[in-house]
Amino acid sequence: MSTKKVKRKYKKRYDKLPTVLFFVLPALIPLIVFWIYPISRSIWLSFTNWDFMTPNYKIVGLRNYINLFKDIRFYEALTNTLIFTLGTLFPTIIIGLILALLLVKNFRGNGILKFILFSPWITPTVAISIVWTWIFKVDGGIANKILQLVGMAPYSWIDKSSSAMFSVILVTVWKSLGYAMIFYLSALEKVPGELYEAGALDGASSWRQFFDITLPSISPTTFFLTIITMVNSLQAYDQIQVLTQGGPAGSTKTLLYMYYQLGFQEFNMGKATAVAVVMIIITATLSLIQFKVGEKWVYY
Amino acid sequence: MNTRYSDKRSLSVRILSIIGKVLILGVTSMFTAFPFVWMVLSMLKTKTEVMNPNSFFPAVPQWSNITKVLFDSNIPKYMWNSTWVSIVIVAIQIVTGAMLAYALVFLKFRTNKILFTIVMATYMLPVAATYIPSYIILANWNMLDSFRGIIISSTVSIFGIFLLRQGFMQIPKGLVEAARMDGATHWRALWEVVCPMTKSSFITFGLMNFISTYNNYMWPSLITKTKDVYLVSQGLRSEFLANTAVNIDWALVMASSAVVIVPLLVLFAFTQKWFINGIGGETGIKG
Repeated sequence: MSTKKVKRKYKKRYDKLPTVLFFVLPALIPLIVFWIYPISRSIWLSFTNWDFMTPNYKIVGLRNYINLFKDIRFYEALTNTLIFTLGTLFPTIIIGLILALLLVKNFRGNGILKFILFSPWITPTVAISIVWTWIFKVDGGIANKILQLVGMAPYSWIDKSSSAMFSVILVTVWKSLGYAMIFYLSALEKVPGELYEAGALDGASSWRQFFDITLPSISPTTFFLTIITMVNSLQAYDQIQVLTQGGPAGSTKTLLYMYYQLGFQEFNMGKATAVAVVMIIITATLSLIQFKVGEKWVYY
Repeated sequence: MNTRYSDKRSLSVRILSIIGKVLILGVTSMFTAFPFVWMVLSMLKTKTEVMNPNSFFPAVPQWSNITKVLFDSNIPKYMWNSTWVSIVIVAIQIVTGAMLAYALVFLKFRTNKILFTIVMATYMLPVAATYIPSYIILANWNMLDSFRGIIISSTVSIFGIFLLRQGFMQIPKGLVEAARMDGATHWRALWEVVCPMTKSSFITFGLMNFISTYNNYMWPSLITKTKDVYLVSQGLRSEFLANTAVNIDWALVMASSAVVIVPLLVLFAFTQKWFINGIGGETGIKG
């Protein structure tokens, strides 16, 4: 090849470069500065003993991880995260689906019901968690008053470690129901009507139709919601911070809350970032599963 | 859809299923609406009345609780902070997001796929994992405890990039090429051809990110310390904490929460369909 040709090829390949850079950099630079660099920096810091106060730190290898895996509080946080995740996941998905099934056909009042059920999703979690704190108040709170009216014993809600997690889950489910419902509504609307007509001609009962036609058709949505609810549960902070601050006795301390306490209260950056890395691994695994399985499904 | 089949069911079964339906919808929507209702009822009570669980409705509505929050507290200031900061952030996010999405869809370049994979991968990671290093960056730039710090650390929305990319891909490539033939720059093609055709994606992007930035709590609360720069969630939280220290007036606390929540519910009532588009639409991605 002559140098001219190389030059022309070079030119052709790169004359678009300024345009591309102009369009890409305004998003890419912040993405690198506030996402990609911090994530890699977190991973790096998890191998050091940095304490935030002093500028010097040493590389300590896996010591943060070894300490973490020896720490009983880590396993408590891990268990709490699991309980919180599963405790939020099942009610959200099941009730969300039931609501969507009931609301998919238009009837009078349909719109207002959707509005009510979806409204918690846009309200600030902090504000509404303060309201729930008031509702949950053991003496004088309305929740126990209602229990008393229906003849049940008062409950300790966020006051005791045995019931605090249930209360936090209740608030989280309250907030995410409408989100699951909206997802299912749009999935249900996309199920081809002919499927039901064929089912009806075959004399399938409503239950059979639901299990043989509806449920398989919306399974990609169920799968997606499962993953996204799990990822969100892993990152829940606002309601825990307001309702319980991880207590009583650490009973609502999730991995994220442990990360917050280690990093921003105890300034144990090494250990905090080690928790962050554990969260990164869990989230990345969940997302990869979503990505791989999602590829196989045809969305319509 | 399956009307033909439902007709075959006996009358009693049909009545039963209607009762069941009404019961489920009734109970869940009452459960959902109850905290809002209780908040409004409580904020209109006196300090002693609110502590009495036997009084469901306020004897005399105490509107002064609201005026106290509106005129004698920091809540309106926090709401104003949240409002303008969110508007600035979302405006920047729309520009950066639209440009990147345009590049991904309409500019053919070699690293296109890699770039999209990077953006995608970023989306999958827990944002909290970035907080410690991001905090240090802002500290080094002297931007802790300032609006600038809150704004500069949120200039990109990955959710928004996905949403716009999805919208842009529906546009026939020929339209953009035709505009280019007519001498339009890529910049003009983006804002004068592509943007008007994907208006609904832009509105959804704007509204969803406005609400989530407005409500955002964890990150702003980590990087701010003085009340002047609190966003609304942190402001409300600090008022609540200050209140719990002394003899707490729950009616006033509920009034503060209501002042924050009600405008959002009103905004939501008028814009609901855009949120539903954003969640239930083709993207299926949450912000």
